[in-house]
Amino acid sequence: METLLLTLNPLKPQPYLFKFPNSRTPFTNNCRGFFSPISCKLSSQPSKDTTKNKVVVPGAAPSLSEENEPPAKVDSRPKKSGGAVVKRLTKRGLSVLANLPLAIGEMFTIAGLMALGTAIDQGENPEYYFQKYPEDNPILGFFTWRWILTLGFDHMFSSPVFLGTLVLLAASLMACTYTTQIPMVKVARRWSFLNSANTIRKLEFSDSLPKASIQDLGVILSGAGYEVFLKGPSLYAFKGLAGRFAPIGVHIALLLIMSGGTYSAVGSFKGSVTVPQGLNFVMGDVLGPNGFLSTPTEAFNTEVHVNRFYMDYYDSGEVSQFHTDLSLFDIDGKEVMRKTISVNDPLRYEGVTIYQTDWSISALQIVKDEEGPYNLAVAPLTVNGDKKLYGSFLPVGNADSTNVKGISMLLRDLQSVVLYDQDGKFAGVRRPNSKLPIEINGTKIEIVDAIGSSGLDMKTDPGVPIVYAGFGALMLTTCVSYLSHTQIWALQDGTTVVVGGKTNRAKVEFPDEMNRVLDRVPEINEPSDVILG
Amino acid sequence: MIFSTLEHILTHISFSIVSIVITLHLITLLGNEIIKPYDSSEKGMIATFLCLTGLLTTRWIYSGHFPLSDLYESLIFLSWSFSLIHIVPYFKIRKNDLTTITASITIFTQGFATSGLLNEIHKPTILVPALQSEWLIMHVSMMILSYAALLCGSLLSVALLVITFRNIFYSSKSNNLLKLNESFSFGEIQYKNERNNIFQKTSFFSDKNYYKAQFIQQLDYWSYRVISLGFIFLTIGILSGAVWANEAWGSYWSWDPKETWAFITWIVFAIYLHTRTNKNLQGANSAIVATLGFLIIWICYFGVNLLGIGLHSYGSFTLTYS
Repeated sequence: METLLLTLNPLKPQPYLFKFPNSRTPFTNNCRGFFSPISCKLSSQPSKDTTKNKVVVPGAAPSLSEENEPPAKVDSRPKKSGGAVVKRLTKRGLSVLANLPLAIGEMFTIAGLMALGTAIDQGENPEYYFQKYPEDNPILGFFTWRWILTLGFDHMFSSPVFLGTLVLLAASLMACTYTTQIPMVKVARRWSFLNSANTIRKLEFSDSLPKASIQDLGVILSGAGYEVFLKGPSLYAFKGLAGRFAPIGVHIALLLIMSGGTYSAVGSFKGSVTVPQGLNFVMGDVLGPNGFLSTPTEAFNTEVHVNRFYMDYYDSGEVSQFHTDLSLFDIDGKEVMRKTISVNDPLRYEGVTIYQTDWSISALQIVKDEEGPYNLAVAPLTVNGDKKLYGSFLPVGNADSTNVKGISMLLRDLQSVVLYDQDGKFAGVRRPNSKLPIEINGTKIEIVDAIGSSGLDMKTDPGVPIVYAGFGALMLTTCVSYLSHTQIWALQDGTTVVVGGKTNRAKVEFPDEMNRVLDRVPEINEPSDVILG
Repeated sequence: MIFSTLEHILTHISFSIVSIVITLHLITLLGNEIIKPYDSSEKGMIATFLCLTGLLTTRWIYSGHFPLSDLYESLIFLSWSFSLIHIVPYFKIRKNDLTTITASITIFTQGFATSGLLNEIHKPTILVPALQSEWLIMHVSMMILSYAALLCGSLLSVALLVITFRNIFYSSKSNNLLKLNESFSFGEIQYKNERNNIFQKTSFFSDKNYYKAQFIQQLDYWSYRVISLGFIFLTIGILSGAVWANEAWGSYWSWDPKETWAFITWIVFAIYLHTRTNKNLQGANSAIVATLGFLIIWICYFGVNLLGIGLHSYGSFTLTYS
């Protein structure tokens, strides 16, 4: 492969080398950003090939000369003779980190580790792994629990191996941006007029327009969204320069997300609590620190009062939404906020977010034989199947005897209560608030209310603004990265205008677009004095 | 009732049209470039697109929410996205290789969606509380659009690989000139192509090779462009999902299997786009990465759902809530 590439090289024109005095800057072109061009182009017009002695026109002309230069060479001929050892070492480290195959290797490793992380059950007891990955029957002949526990794969996404690879990738990102992308943009921005028709003809796309004026071309190009510069007989126009910058933005956005994520991990508080309707708690009691940078704030003294918990139901009886009406009281007992939260609609107060995540039933309020109301404790029952089930028990008769009998009540949600008599026989179904008493074994019971408790998740996450900024930047820059940076040169050569251009991404569409533009350039009927004179 | 009948009719119409389109493609393939069936296949895809749009709208109206809450609906949306991709480049560039691939993958997804395999989930279901958000439309539609685009793009790469490796296979037992084909990198194909131009008048093979190389270049280019587009959708989809998760689950990233696999997909296609920047890795190498990406999308899309684990499988998500 190498030899073939070498044979290819002499065929490549390298006309712009002299134009860029800075072209020996140590960038290796290893990583030119997300959407870099197809730098080799097959000539698609066979007819042209016969007239030209070249077939290959590389994509980014200025950078071409560096394309096949190994990164190590940069160090072997330092530009400044007085370069300190430290500086050279940093440079060397940077060029190693910015190495594209290394970065690709890191990305593959991360992908592989993540896949492994979904394949191995996370966060189980060591005993679980002893059983599932036994030593006497290793998977693939070597993979046992020892691997998992030594490398920390039972908590993959916080294991040193995984985090280390991420850090390495972040370092590569930075090195690549610094050593490759930024110099690339510097080169791309340094535009110049081309003053030789031959150079223009050697571009990826070129055409000549007889009887045309370069001014007309300039007007049409600027109408087509190009920035046009005219100087004498030369024209330079470009479009989509942002497409060159954007990959840098992508890298910076990724770094932003990573740093935000790190800050989230070390600086946040988390906690969850199940509060019966009508009770309250203090935020600071629930929130537990996550990392060493977690510092409590004033807001932690806030008292949260659960005013009401209720559910919405579909006609079919299934739950459609959970709501909790919350009030926040500050340390002086003043209500500072009140909001009804639901899934997808959390409460935010001074950096603390309260989410509706879970629910349960805490008590049944009943009236027994016109007495009461009493609150009966409700406990969750574990039964096979995935639905929640709650139960309560009302003793009837002598509660102190060893053989207690009574009425059992079962609930699936807050809508209805199923009652069973002393013998365990089905007695009836009642809705809370229905004011319809039921008589079981001589006891009259009216279910006044089912009191739910709300499962709340709380967190403070100082990293979120940074992460969101990174998200926004990433979306924007990825979109902009799709833009193709197009450059056009033209030269008035007598009555003919020689036009040439290149683009870095939309290579196949580019000739069509150019042809459309050039078709609109009006033909000038030369004044007769040329012929007459 | 009317709605479900209408839905039924639309499903079957779209499926039959795609089948006809595929047949037309086959005829075109065998009958060596007859223009007419090609044109009608384009019309057929537009009709499919309209049918699927109708199908989704019907479902939207009678279920009352955006029709992307389960696998069946997402499959229909996927084939809708394929037909969308199919007809959009059609307006832009009259003829490209995408059409064959989008048509055949549409029949695949559509066939799977309408087959008996997923019968029990055809009925529109209620939305669990966590799905009741405006983010549903943004996140899921972006994800599925990105799956569609990335699948198309990586299939083009698969085609490229098949053609390249068939080349190698043939050339290994062919004459000297064809041995030039033993190429992995694009630069060499180029070189070969140029060589072939020189020999064009003297050799019949080189002429054929020239077109083959040009075809490979087309495949490579379109696969790159389509994947780039899909990558944008994927980025937006994942990030909007993260923002949504921060609203609904209390954390923007929780290493849930579906999330993780979407991230793996993202990384693999990021690798693809990076391989494009390096000449030595271009061509077949990047095509191999895209092929890997093709498999990973299917794991992400189906595999995780089949296992029914994590926060994204709404079968088990109801566990927490009802």
